[in-house]
Order: sequence, then C-alpha cells, then structure tokens
Amino acid sequence: MIFEKMRQQIVVYALVLVFGCSVGFSQQPAPPENVNAFDTPNDAGASITITWDKSPEDGTGAEAVTGYHVLRKSGDSEFEVITKSPLTAGETRYVDKGAKGGPAYTYSVQAITASESTVNSAETAPVKAVGNWFHFGKRWIFLALILFSVAVVYSIYHARRGKEIFIRRIPGLEAVDEAIGRSTEMGRPIMYILGLGSVSDVATIASMNILSQVARKTADYEMPLRVPCNDPIVLNVVREMVRTAYVNEGRPDAYQEDDIFFLTESQFAYAAGVDGMMIREKPAAIFMQGTFYAESLILAETGNSVGAIQIAGTDSDSQLPFFIAACDYTLIGEELYAASAYLSREPMLIGSLRGQDYGKLIIFGALIIGVILELIGVTWVTTFFQRV
Amino acid sequence: MRRQVPLALCFIFGLVMMLAEFSPHPVSQGIRKEIIDWSLIIWPFALVLAVASLVHTHWIRIRRRAEYWQYSYLVFIGMIVMVVIGIPFGKRHPAFVWMFENVQVPMDATMFSLLAFIIASAAYRAFRARTFEASLLLAAALIVMIGNVPVGDFIWNKLIPFGDDLPSTARQWILDNPNLSSRRGIILGISLGVISQSIRIILGIERSYLGGGD
Repeated sequence: MIFEKMRQQIVVYALVLVFGCSVGFSQQPAPPENVNAFDTPNDAGASITITWDKSPEDGTGAEAVTGYHVLRKSGDSEFEVITKSPLTAGETRYVDKGAKGGPAYTYSVQAITASESTVNSAETAPVKAVGNWFHFGKRWIFLALILFSVAVVYSIYHARRGKEIFIRRIPGLEAVDEAIGRSTEMGRPIMYILGLGSVSDVATIASMNILSQVARKTADYEMPLRVPCNDPIVLNVVREMVRTAYVNEGRPDAYQEDDIFFLTESQFAYAAGVDGMMIREKPAAIFMQGTFYAESLILAETGNSVGAIQIAGTDSDSQLPFFIAACDYTLIGEELYAASAYLSREPMLIGSLRGQDYGKLIIFGALIIGVILELIGVTWVTTFFQRV
Repeated sequence: MRRQVPLALCFIFGLVMMLAEFSPHPVSQGIRKEIIDWSLIIWPFALVLAVASLVHTHWIRIRRRAEYWQYSYLVFIGMIVMVVIGIPFGKRHPAFVWMFENVQVPMDATMFSLLAFIIASAAYRAFRARTFEASLLLAAALIVMIGNVPVGDFIWNKLIPFGDDLPSTARQWILDNPNLSSRRGIILGISLGVISQSIRIILGIERSYLGGGD
C-alpha cells in the first residue's frame, strides 16, 4: 500500500517535471526574421550592413526579447558574436565595420531574453564588402557642381570673345588705389595681413591673389609693403609671389624680402606682434584679407586707432560684423573671391564672375519657387532638398 | 616652361582631389591621402625658412638699434630656452610644460581678454545712430543684449503687464530669422565664390598666386 502511494507520487512529480520542462522549452523566443546582409553602399569596402525584422516577441510577451547580438562567420568557420554588447530591443539594423574586403561573410541575428535564453535566426547568404568608385549619396551635389562649373567655364570662354561684361561696383576694391595713394602721400608703409589660414584654404589663396595685385601697385609707387605671416608655407609662397609681381612691373630692385617675414604661428602672439607693428610703424593703409578668428577685432581696432585706412575681407562669417564695425571697407562673402578679377580686369577672370552670378540666380530662383510651393502646400521640393 | 609645370601640376592634383571627394573607393582615398602626405612633407622645410626669417628680422632690429630693439633679445632667449629643453627632453618634460602653462597660456589669455574692451569701443562706433541702418542695428543689439540676460525678462515681467518673457523671445526671433537668413545668404555666396575660384585655379586662368603675368 505504502509502495503504491509512493509510486503514484513519483509519477505525479515526474509528470509535473516533464510538463514544467516542456513549458520552459516552449517559452524560447521566436527568432528575428528576414535577416538580410548586403555590402554597405557608398563606402570604401570595409563594412557590411545587416537588417532584420524584429522578433514577434520584441519587448512583449512572457519571454520578451530584450536585445540582439549579431553573429558572423567566414567560410566553414564557426559563428562568432561581433557585437560587443547586445543591441537594444527594437533595433533592426547593424553595420559591421569589421568586415574586410575579400572574404565572403555569413551572418545570423541572435535574439536574447531577460532570462538569457537565446535563439538564432536563419543564416544570410554569403556577402562580400566591396569598395565603391562613386558615392551615389553625393550624386546631386556632384551634378550641381558640374552644372555650376559648366556655367563658369562657358562664361569664361564667352568672355574671351571680348564682349564687355558688366560687374557691379565694389567700394572696398575701388578703395585699393585710394589706400595705396594715401600711403604714398603720407610716406607711411602699407601693411597686408593674410589672416591665420594655411595655404590650403581657398580664402588664403584669394587673399594672395589680391596681394599680388596690391604688390604690383606698391611696386609702381615704390611704397614699402609689410606682410607679417603666421604660416611658414604661406610665407614662402608670398615671398615668391610678391617678388614675381615686382619683376613683372619692372621694379625688381624695389622688392624687399625682409618686409615679408614670419612672426609666429600662435594666434594671439600673432595679434600682439602685428598690433605692436601697427603702433610703432603707423601704416597708412592696412589690408586684412583671408581667414580670421577672434583676433580680427583686436587687429582691426588697433588699425583704426592709428588712423589707417582699412580694407578687410574674410570668409569667416562670424568675424564679418567686427570688420564692418572697425574697418573703412569690408569685402563681404564672395566679394573676397571676386577681388582678383575685379582688380586685374582680365576678361577671362571677369567672365568667371558672370558664371558665379548664374549660380546665384539659380539658387535665388530655387528659393523663391520653394517658398511659393511650400506656401501652397506642395512639399516635395523641400523634402527633396532635405534628402540632398 | 617655368609657368607651365606648376599650372599642369595644379590642374592634375586639383582635379584628382576634387574627384576623390566623390569616390570612397580605397584606391582613390589612398591617392588622396598620399597627396595630403606629400603636402605635409613641405611643411618642415618651410618651417626652417620661417625660423630663419624670424631670426633674421630680429637680428636686423638689434643691429640697427630699431625702436624697442631690446625686446628682440627676449625673442632669442625664449626661442633658445624652449628649443634646448624641448628637443632633447620632449614636449612633456615638466620644465617645458611649466613654461607653456605659466608663460604662453597667460599671455594668450591676456590678449584674448582685451577683446572685452575692444568690443565695447567697436560697438560704440557701430551703434552710433547716425543713419537709419545704424539705428536699426542699435535697436536690434539692445534687444539681443537685454534678451540675453535673465534680468531682462525679470524686469520686463515686473514692469510690463503683457508679453511674458518678451525680451528673450524677441532676441531668439532676431537670431533665428533676420540674422540666420542673412548669414546663410553670405555662406551661399562664399560657397559659390570658393567653387568659382577653384575652377579658375584648376584651369590655370587665375595665376595671380604665381605672381601674375603670362
């Protein structure tokens, strides 16, 4: 009798255990579905993108999925986890930046629950990371660049035919002759400051182009042209450039190499050095053209205090108000880049300004059309430009 | 020939660098990196010439007894001390770091702090309401200044029965609308100017940086 009761109890316990286990196994989460791996577009060929549909139990259910791991294998090797920590629930995309160009990789996505039970998705097809020759994400920018370049080149070659092109008066550039003439009358030097940009900055190159035109005039007037530099490469380029300008004007004897010198690379030490020169030498004309930062106002105010006529120009839009406040003339925005053409009056250079104006016209037109369309409720234009 | 070689090099490298901007392929990016590395090599040679220029300038000042020539000795002393400590012991040596932190940093900070006073004098000139534009500038500046400090809103809310926090709201409107739109206009112009200038240089039409002429 006792043995019979014990046998019944054992059977009951065994049934409970088997039932419990079966319930436990059946609570394993459903795996992520539609796992897809593909070569990441528009990259150097060092990454593969994996996407998947969330597990049906992502964040819900008794055994909710709390995160995902991505697994990778190459050839016949075993899968290994490549995510350092689990991706959070709800994630459906991962970029494997550890993929190397060459071998084909297979991926699987592993769903994890709070009780750390896991389930792997089906394997993806093998995929290779391949470098792309063209970044299709930048195609519209490329197209715009080509169109703008064609407009500029067309205008340049149109200008070669000798047709006169109107360019609006830029007071800051009209004043260059006035500034140099004033220096000559007062017998004081001219100071040219190229800013803190390096030779790879387009604003510095634009500034050097203006300096070349200024140097031609100072060579004619035999006025000392002082150029303190803060970049060693700019110093050497400027020396060569000014020397050539003097030679081209037939005044190689007037060129003074010592007037173009290196001061320092430190921003505020440069400002202090140039300020000191302004106070001591009291230049009659100061040109500040190029890239400037916080030192712009320190320089411009000192120049103002010594009574110099100041012509400034910069591509740093945050410094423009300071120059406008402290200088007599300021080249704003693209005027800095138009200065060389304006001063030299070479037809081909002036032609490029016409092309630049075409570009502005197109942008202006697009802005007006965009505003009108947005006002009448057509939003695809705005959406298109936001995507670009 | 003296002009054609730099112009040809400028055309080739300018075009390659521009196209590399649109090509993420390892080969094009490798070429791009290589060109940038080459340009970096020029720097040390240019630095030697720059230091020679600095020494020459101050030596001439001392020899000619130019105004404040005594300070040129300070340039030499500073340069020699930094080189003597920096080259053999490296830039992390305590003496080198001490000089940087206790000499250069305070002097830089001094120059930077001068901006506060300089801005005041420049603002005084800019905001003199002599024309309509200057008056507009003055009014905008006053609103932005008052809106920038919490006490502006506090005083407004205490004294004026309508328009809660109007100074800071007006300030934000000025910054977000007239200010931002005009800045973007300038940036658009600058961008077109940069592209146009680059095309002129790449095609060899702009030669002023070579000293001008043909």
